[in-house]
Amino acid sequence: MLDADVEVDRRDFAVRVAVSVAPGERLALFGPSGAGKTTLLEAVAGLVTPRRARIVLGGRVLTSIGLPAEIGPPAATTPPAVTVPPWQRRVGLLRQDPGLFPHLSVQANLRYSRTASRDPAELRRLAGTLGLGGLLTAMPARLSGGQAHRVALGRLLLARCDALLLDEPFTGLDAGLRRSLTELVVGLVTERGIPAVLVAHELPDAQAFATRLAIIDQGGLLQDGPPDQVVLRPASRRVAELVGYRGFVPVQPQGAAVAASADPAGGAVAAIHPERIAPGAHPDRGIVLTGTLTGGRPVGAGWEADLLVSAAEVTCRLDSRPAAPDGQLVVTALDPPCFWPDGSALAGPEPGPGAAWPVQVSA
Amino acid sequence: MSWAASPAPVSGGAGAGQDPRRPGPRGAGLARRARSASSLASVIGAAVIWLALLGPVITLLTHLSWHQLVTALKIPGALDPVVTSLASGGVTLAVLLLLATPLARMLARGTLPFPRVWEAGVLLSLLLPPLVIGLLLVFMVGPYTAIGQLIGHIHLTATNTFLALVIAEVYESAPYYVVGAQAAFAAIDPRLEQQAELLGDRPRRAFRRVTLPLAAPGLAMALAVAWARAMGAFGAVVIIAYHPYGIPMQIFTTLQETGLPTALPYALVLLVVALPLPLAAYIWSARAGRRRRG
Repeated sequence: MLDADVEVDRRDFAVRVAVSVAPGERLALFGPSGAGKTTLLEAVAGLVTPRRARIVLGGRVLTSIGLPAEIGPPAATTPPAVTVPPWQRRVGLLRQDPGLFPHLSVQANLRYSRTASRDPAELRRLAGTLGLGGLLTAMPARLSGGQAHRVALGRLLLARCDALLLDEPFTGLDAGLRRSLTELVVGLVTERGIPAVLVAHELPDAQAFATRLAIIDQGGLLQDGPPDQVVLRPASRRVAELVGYRGFVPVQPQGAAVAASADPAGGAVAAIHPERIAPGAHPDRGIVLTGTLTGGRPVGAGWEADLLVSAAEVTCRLDSRPAAPDGQLVVTALDPPCFWPDGSALAGPEPGPGAAWPVQVSA
Repeated sequence: MSWAASPAPVSGGAGAGQDPRRPGPRGAGLARRARSASSLASVIGAAVIWLALLGPVITLLTHLSWHQLVTALKIPGALDPVVTSLASGGVTLAVLLLLATPLARMLARGTLPFPRVWEAGVLLSLLLPPLVIGLLLVFMVGPYTAIGQLIGHIHLTATNTFLALVIAEVYESAPYYVVGAQAAFAAIDPRLEQQAELLGDRPRRAFRRVTLPLAAPGLAMALAVAWARAMGAFGAVVIIAYHPYGIPMQIFTTLQETGLPTALPYALVLLVVALPLPLAAYIWSARAGRRRRG
């Protein structure tokens, strides 16, 4: 179990995030560059000194700074600060640069840690799992990018670290390699039953890895939950923007949705995700959008169309270039999340079977 | 040296074929010719400076007969300066390794307060002419100064002694070593040391297992330069350490007493004595680089 409640001062803003990762659980920290994700990892690894933090890994207190005693009467004295140095933390950190020691062979790199297993059978088994069997005597300079990352991963696993921290480790590798390395890490983390935290700024990377997704922005934790829940039910407009909702269409809640909402004054928007679009009108499945085509481009095997709906620009992913002779297109945004002007989510509209969607595009 | 090691680029032909912005066929021919002309000029320039640099060594070898050498070295005590030079040079290197290596590391990592001030100090000592250093050392460590009296308490003197020779050699070589060693440490990614610590190494152990082996080729080259400076040290030596004679002083006094031809054998001795260490350092660091590349 990894518990981290961290507050680090940075030049631009303070990073204040609390996360907790169970053994075998895989948490992805997702957010824009510079949001403070790496800072959190470095605090857990002991590479930055937080202003205030409590980090506990498997019952061992790694950092305890500036926190009053949790239970009991207000303590007259704050408990002494604890900062376990990096070399005693047993926390594995894998970065984009695999950081192999260039003067040591693959085998010596794998066995670098003093706590690394000396059992040659285990080394061979791990090398086999990682596909490094024939490379044990090679020097790091001879390895490809993917091989170097597998050696770095093996080095952490052989060192028997108690937690695995991955800081955008596979950025810059091609997609196939990234997928196979991610699968490898997922398998190994599950097998070892250690908590793992991945920092990612590409959502697919985070989803491919994580059992839980935490959205970090401007040093704060915005939402934390199962990946599909975070993506399909963003807690705020900012989260929706970060996970890929690209159009915000003014909407009018109807009937029950108005009663359930806190701000009946209106001004709500529906967030439209380009990939959650069905062509045609399906009023029982979501909000029907009628708009003017303003542009489009091929994307992968499909087509991405730009649509102007009630003065809002919406991007929708379709399976082919739409035939719209009059320039008008009707699509349905499937079960879109809606937000108030302050960015908070509208209480989930629950449509009755066969009934019209309780939220409609404003006139 | 790289033009000699790689045979292809001299003509410029290999590069021209891969240049995506290359002009049309006629322009390409002109450009190629211009490029090969300029590379020919740079090869000639390199050869000229190389020969010019080696000129003194060639001159020494052509002006020296075996007979002269044997006669000069048969004089009783003729090899004493060799021993003095080797011993003082060895002590100098030990002092540099122990005291200047940590300074170089801290300069490279920027861990010292006011790092610019520390760097400026090293640079200043690098720029001081050795003769001036010698003059100032007299006023600094001479027998009637505070430091001189302090040294006197342990029955040592810092003028015209072996100690004085070592002091002069340290002053003449240390800045070169610090600058070279600083570059060697600066070339190491601090994240490698960080990774070693995360894998369980205390900082000192990480230094021994990662930093030092990675910096070693660069440190060896810096040490080789420092050794060459120490062996040839003259400007400061002639002022505060006239005695005991090292090889440069021996050359100087022989020149003054009996003339140029009799001084030449000692010049060859100086080369023979001073060269092996830098050569070994060069070969070793080149080999370390090759090993690292796999």
